[in-house]
Amino acid sequence: MKPHTHSFFGELYSSRNVLWQLVAQQLILRYRRTALGYLWTLINPLLMMSIMALVFSTLFNADLKTFAVFLFTGMIPWNFFSSVTTQSGTSFINNEGLIKKIYLPKVIFPLSITSALLIDTVFSFFALFLIILTLGGPLSWALLFIPIAFLLLFIFTLGLGLITSIATVYFRDLQYVILIIMQALFFLTPILYKPEALKGKVAWLITLNPVVPFIDLFRAPLYLGSLPSQSTIIFSILFSLVSITIGLIIFLWQEKKIIFRL
Amino acid sequence: MSSISIENLSIKFRIYHDSSPSLKDYFANLFRRKGQSAYSDFWAVKDVSCEINAGDRVGIVGHNGAGKSTLLKALCRIYESSDGLVSVDGRLAPLLEIGAGFHPEFTGRENIYLNGAILGYTKQQLKEIEPEVIAFAELEEFIDTPVKYYSTGMYMRLAFSLATAMHTDILILDEVFAGGDAAFMAKARARMHEMIDKANIMIMVSHDHELIKSLCNRVIWLDHGKLVGDGSPEEIVQRYLLGKVNE
Repeated sequence: MKPHTHSFFGELYSSRNVLWQLVAQQLILRYRRTALGYLWTLINPLLMMSIMALVFSTLFNADLKTFAVFLFTGMIPWNFFSSVTTQSGTSFINNEGLIKKIYLPKVIFPLSITSALLIDTVFSFFALFLIILTLGGPLSWALLFIPIAFLLLFIFTLGLGLITSIATVYFRDLQYVILIIMQALFFLTPILYKPEALKGKVAWLITLNPVVPFIDLFRAPLYLGSLPSQSTIIFSILFSLVSITIGLIIFLWQEKKIIFRL
Repeated sequence: MSSISIENLSIKFRIYHDSSPSLKDYFANLFRRKGQSAYSDFWAVKDVSCEINAGDRVGIVGHNGAGKSTLLKALCRIYESSDGLVSVDGRLAPLLEIGAGFHPEFTGRENIYLNGAILGYTKQQLKEIEPEVIAFAELEEFIDTPVKYYSTGMYMRLAFSLATAMHTDILILDEVFAGGDAAFMAKARARMHEMIDKANIMIMVSHDHELIKSLCNRVIWLDHGKLVGDGSPEEIVQRYLLGKVNE
């Protein structure tokens, strides 16, 4: 049994126990010893989104309820995407102590972050979904598409998370650069506004933005009550595959080298 | 039967003169190719070859920074070899720094499961050894208290009993002899000896030459990353001590 013949997925499978422990650690620790505990996962985004709905529906002269549903359905995928990309960036740096003392397949660090955030997001999705329904969101068969939307979003963000996790080891500044990029990208993604609302010289930025189809994946079934358009599905599958492929290539190429740079 | 084979192993570290590179520096260096390089290479282990077979109790000696720990970490796959090959046959248990994977906010019991998973135990195995680990660490009363409230001794006891709860083929020790009070030390020592007896191969790094002479049947001497001696404990330790005197 030679070290370099260990297969990537075989190792991942045999480390599933550690992976699960790391996921549980993140879910448990975040709100341990707080009175409201896990509810904060819900309250925090809910308050934020409510304020945004209130302010922007007034600014845009839109109906508050309709706008709230529109906003919430865009924020679910966005919050997940943005948290994964930001938190994966420091996944190796924060676990430096462990990585230097025992061998673990490195992929479990970004993967545990992505998985923990997915569980968080799915939980808050159920609560938000109830709120969306109360506010008058449509109930349709298209909702059955949501698990597929989550799967595609997961693959897409995991790929990016792998890239940011490796890149930040080499360039520590990236953790701050990513925060700025995320803020810019938030406004360049049609979350607060409809895609066709952004006209003029910057409109092309939206067509280049790979996050856009993932917003539509959620918005179509939850806000419009219909399946996402064919092009949305094709583009999101395409972006997911490109992201996870590039992510894995960079990861497998660098995974053995980052220990020397931590 | 376990065995370890090391062929021409070299491990290179890159020492960066500015400790943490930034994007700015990276781009600055791209355009300033002719300037002095921002790093220099350092070989922590250089061209080491040896075969370790079942029954071997190997002690590694050498001055500080000779590459002893780096060599152990390469066996544990923490460091990838820059050159050469390491092949390990058998289940390997690294006892490098016990308690490394503990989380201070978690209780002792939760840490058994978290750290146990990191050490490679399955959930089933952990369920089986849990009572024994707690009993050996004498922590029945405090096992559901977060470990950040533990005293250093309590912490060490838990880490030690967990790390030594299972027997393995290949045992790797880096100066670990658990702390704690005298009674626990005696118990820990007995357990350590039992573990060493049952292991197929044992490799340890220590500056305690008497300990090495009493536990090992073979000693390897590393000097500046190179293997300069390999033989019986008496002979190599003697030569190592003399070599130091000659410097």
